[in-house]
Formats: sequence, structure tokens, C-alpha cells
Amino acid sequence: MKILLYLAVKVASSFAMLVIGAAVVFLLLHAIPGDAAIAALGEQASPSAIAAFRAEHHLNDPLFVQFWAWASAALTGDLGQSISLAGGFSTASLIAGSLPNTLFIGVYALALAVAISLLAGSVAAARHGRIEDVLATSGAIVTISMPDFWLGYVLVLIFSLGLGWFPAYGFIRPGDSLGGAFHSGFLPALAIAVPMAGIFSRMLRATLLETFRRAYVVSAHAMGFGRFFIFWHYVFRNALIPYVTTIGLQARYLLGGVVVVERVFGVPGIGSLMVDAAFARDYGVVQGCAVVFLLIVIAVNFMVDAVCGLLDPRRAG
Amino acid sequence: MAKRRSASGMWHTFRTNRVAQVGTAVILIAAAVILLVRLFSPYGPTGNDYMNILRPPSLSHPFGTDSFGRDVLTRVVYGAQVSLLISFAGLLLGGLIGTVIGMVSGFWGGVLDAVTMRFIDLLYSFPTYVLALCLMLLLGYGSRSVSLAIALIYVPNFARLARSMTEAIRAENYVTAARLMGQSPPRILLREILPNIAAPLLVQFSAGLGFGIIMEAGLSFVGLGVQPPTPSLGVMMADGKDYFQRGPWVLTLTGLSVAWIILGLNLLGDGLRDALDPQLRRRMS
Repeated sequence: MKILLYLAVKVASSFAMLVIGAAVVFLLLHAIPGDAAIAALGEQASPSAIAAFRAEHHLNDPLFVQFWAWASAALTGDLGQSISLAGGFSTASLIAGSLPNTLFIGVYALALAVAISLLAGSVAAARHGRIEDVLATSGAIVTISMPDFWLGYVLVLIFSLGLGWFPAYGFIRPGDSLGGAFHSGFLPALAIAVPMAGIFSRMLRATLLETFRRAYVVSAHAMGFGRFFIFWHYVFRNALIPYVTTIGLQARYLLGGVVVVERVFGVPGIGSLMVDAAFARDYGVVQGCAVVFLLIVIAVNFMVDAVCGLLDPRRAG
Repeated sequence: MAKRRSASGMWHTFRTNRVAQVGTAVILIAAAVILLVRLFSPYGPTGNDYMNILRPPSLSHPFGTDSFGRDVLTRVVYGAQVSLLISFAGLLLGGLIGTVIGMVSGFWGGVLDAVTMRFIDLLYSFPTYVLALCLMLLLGYGSRSVSLAIALIYVPNFARLARSMTEAIRAENYVTAARLMGQSPPRILLREILPNIAAPLLVQFSAGLGFGIIMEAGLSFVGLGVQPPTPSLGVMMADGKDYFQRGPWVLTLTGLSVAWIILGLNLLGDGLRDALDPQLRRRMS
């Protein structure tokens, strides 16, 4: 029961954060100098046309009234119209078309990063001070130092232009062919995953080493339990909590990386959409994308809290 | 909290720390290359040379030339200085604002703390480039906006760190003593608390410096950051991507230089952490 209450409180606070965040984005983008009516109608528009446009789009209302109108429409899935991209698509349909691609790449990258880091971090901790540890630790700090979009090009140079194993550009939507999406999405996902894995494995190694020294682990050794039994039942589960928390904390960097890496590989995701909209000064679309990104990070952090609550029931109590 | 360690003790730990040694070597090599190029390079960062367009790396052009025939190594050296400055300015501003917010919040606690930290949580929930992109639209593209974006991204990191450290030591005897002696809160924050929480903030700063360079490179790469002809590392990489297949060395070697500098900063940051935070060091090794 306690965990349900804990989750309910988390849901409520996450929602409040989303609303306030949306308001901040709204205000920020409305503070941009320039008149939306002139931007939409052009410099030559007659004053009466501008007045009509302003009235039609409620641009004369106070900002908080405008935000209320936008937010209540957003809750029903209506994020307004794109003023530039391919003429008059709704923002919601643009986002709906690109979000699955971004989520696919993001989850793909996260899965790769977790797989690499679980292996590297555990090996480094178990073989502490030996050659495996040195290799894994040095590898981690080198990968952390690489910009992900640059790594993307290096991967293209090696695996696409050199070996020809993966396409250099373009992405097959998971809806069209799941296998194609895994194949064409591998390099972008890997470019995001490798620096991420460096951060994760450093964290895992540090917590594992710390847990190895805990009194209950030492006493388990003294009681004669096997090494693998101790690792699995005493060390690993306890080390997982900081590890999972780190994943939540990295969500903003992971999604940040997605925005740029999508451009490198021509993935038609929400990051690409947002950058295109920014170039076109299509603020409605930028705003919609920003709020969706915020929603994803908040959702990830909610899930991390939930998982940590399950791993350590004391947190929820 | 243990008594403050002597500066010479920290310096000794830092100097004998292998990670710090490697980091220093990496940074020194970068500094030597910058110095040598600035002193002896016959090329400038902007002059075009249409006789030598897209030459692969050679003795006269160690990093090759770009699509305007400019020496890539020379441009990398100038670009590294621009990018470092942008990152440094951003980190400094973000660090100052974040530290003040965190210290004030952690020192007084209560409603102020609760409200401020929710706002910090919110700021932390925006993906890095999304925050930067919105700010670019508001302020216009260019180096100053990129610095401000880096600052805004790093405010929550510093605020959280400063807050948790301040909260942990605000009930220590020396803080209570200062309070009972009638010292004003600003003085307590500055003289008693700040010196005791400075070490982790410094580590955060050095790690952030590298990430700031990545941010600048990423934003300028997409075209929403520093604008040409300013030779920032991101601008050069964006330029290199346009003819990546014909001249892959421009993008590859520029990025490699970025990675090299960031590697040095990260290693130095790790060494610094070990030297400044012996507790963490004992736990890690």
C-alpha cells in the first residue's frame, strides 16, 4: 500500500512539474522579440489583416490566458498548427510521426549502454587493480571525452564507408520494418550509447567496490558463502540503486545527445523536427517538441523512482 | 567534518596521483601544440588558399586543409581557444549562480529551499540541447548565447551540489560557533561554509569544462551556436561534415583534438577529486 501512495505522490508532483515547465517554455518563447502576426503574414500585410490575425489567434489576450488556452488544448492532444513545415500540418501530427523514431533510438541506445556498462563495470570491480580494471577504467574515461555526434561520424567512416556493414545515412521506421530499424538505427544508437556506457560503468564500478567493503559482505565471506552467491545476493542488488539513479540523472544528456545525433544520421525524429522548426522560426512546433522532451525526462525519472522504490522498499516508506 | 587539510598535502596527493599525472601530460601536450602553432605556423585561421583545397594530412599540413585551403591544425588551435573561452565563461557564470542558490537554499532550508529546489529540478529535467535551443531562439545565435546556454544547463548541477554540502555542514560546531559570535549569514556562508564545500564544486567545474566544449561543438555543429567565420571547434566540425566523404580528415581530426582536450580535463578532474576528497579516494581505491 505504501508503495502505491508513494507512486501517487510522485505522479502528482511530476504532473505539476510538467505544467510549470510547459509554462516556462511558453513564456520563454513568447518573450522572443518579433510579432507572430507579421511573421506569419509577411512584412507587407495590411494593418487590418494583422489585426484580424491577432484577434483570430487571441494574440491580444494576456499571456496567462493564452497559456491556459494552449495548455487545455494540449491536454486534448491539440498542439496547434505548424506555420512553416510542409504547410499547415498540425504540430501534434508532426510530433506523432517523429516521436516513435526518437524513442526507438533512445531506448536502443540506453539498452546498449546498460549492456556494455553492466559488463565493463562488473568486470572492472571484480578484477580491481588488474589489467582488466585498468583497461575498462581507461576505456570509460576515453569514451566520456568523445562528443557523441563526432563519434557518429567516426563510426560511419569505419562501419559504413569502410566495411559497408551499416547505412551511413537514413533510418527505416520501426513501423515499416523492425529488423531494418534495428539495423539502420545501430550506429546512431551506438554513438549515443558509448559515452553513456562510460559514465554508467564508472558509477557501477565505484558502487560495487564500495559495497564489497561493507560489513555484511565481509561477514558473508566469513560465513563461507560462494563468491558468486555473495556477488549476486549481497553486492549487486545493493549497487543497483545508485546505478539506476544515475540512469535517471543522465536522461537529460541522453535526450540532448539524441537531438544532435539524429541530424548526423538523418533520423526523422523529434530532435530533428525541433531543430528544423527552430531554423524556420516555427515557435509553436518548437514549443510542442520542448514540452514532449520534458515529458519524456519526467516520465523516465518517475520510472527510476518507481524502480528504486521496488528495489529498496524503505524509500517508499 | 574532519579538519581542513593543508594545501601542501593536497598538492602532494595531486602530484603523486597517476591519473592526475596523465591528465597533466595530456594538457601539456595540447598547450605545447597550441604554443608551437601560434609561434611558428605560417598559416592564419581565416586566409583562403585556393591552390591547396582539401589536401590530406602531410608534413606541411599535419591535419590537412579544408575546403577553402586553410590549414586545419591552425584552425583547430584558434578554435580550441574560442571554444574553451566559451565553455569557461559559461561554467563560471553557471557555477556562481548555482552555488549561490544552493548555499542559500541549504543554509536556510524551509519553504524557500523547497520551492527553489523544485525549480532546480525542473531546470534539470530539460534535455541539454532543448534548453540551449530555446535560449538560442530567445537571444539569437552566437558565442555569448552559447555561453549563457552552458551556464543555464549547469546551474542545477552546482545548485544541487552546493545545497547538499551546505545542508550537511550547517550544523557543524564551527558554523554554530560563528553564528553565536554574531557573524552575519553572508559572512558565515563566505568564510565558514564556502571553503569547506569548494572542493567538490571545483571538481564539478573541471568536469563541466569538458562538457561545455561538447555543448558548444554540438550546438554550432547543428548550426544553432557560434556562427562562421568565428573558428570555434563546433563550426569547423559542421564545415567538415559537408564534405565528409571527400575530406574526412577535417571532421575526424578536429573531433579528435576536441576529445584529446576533454580527456585531459576529465583526467585532471578525476585527479583533483582524489586530491581534494580523500574520503572519496579511499572509497574508490
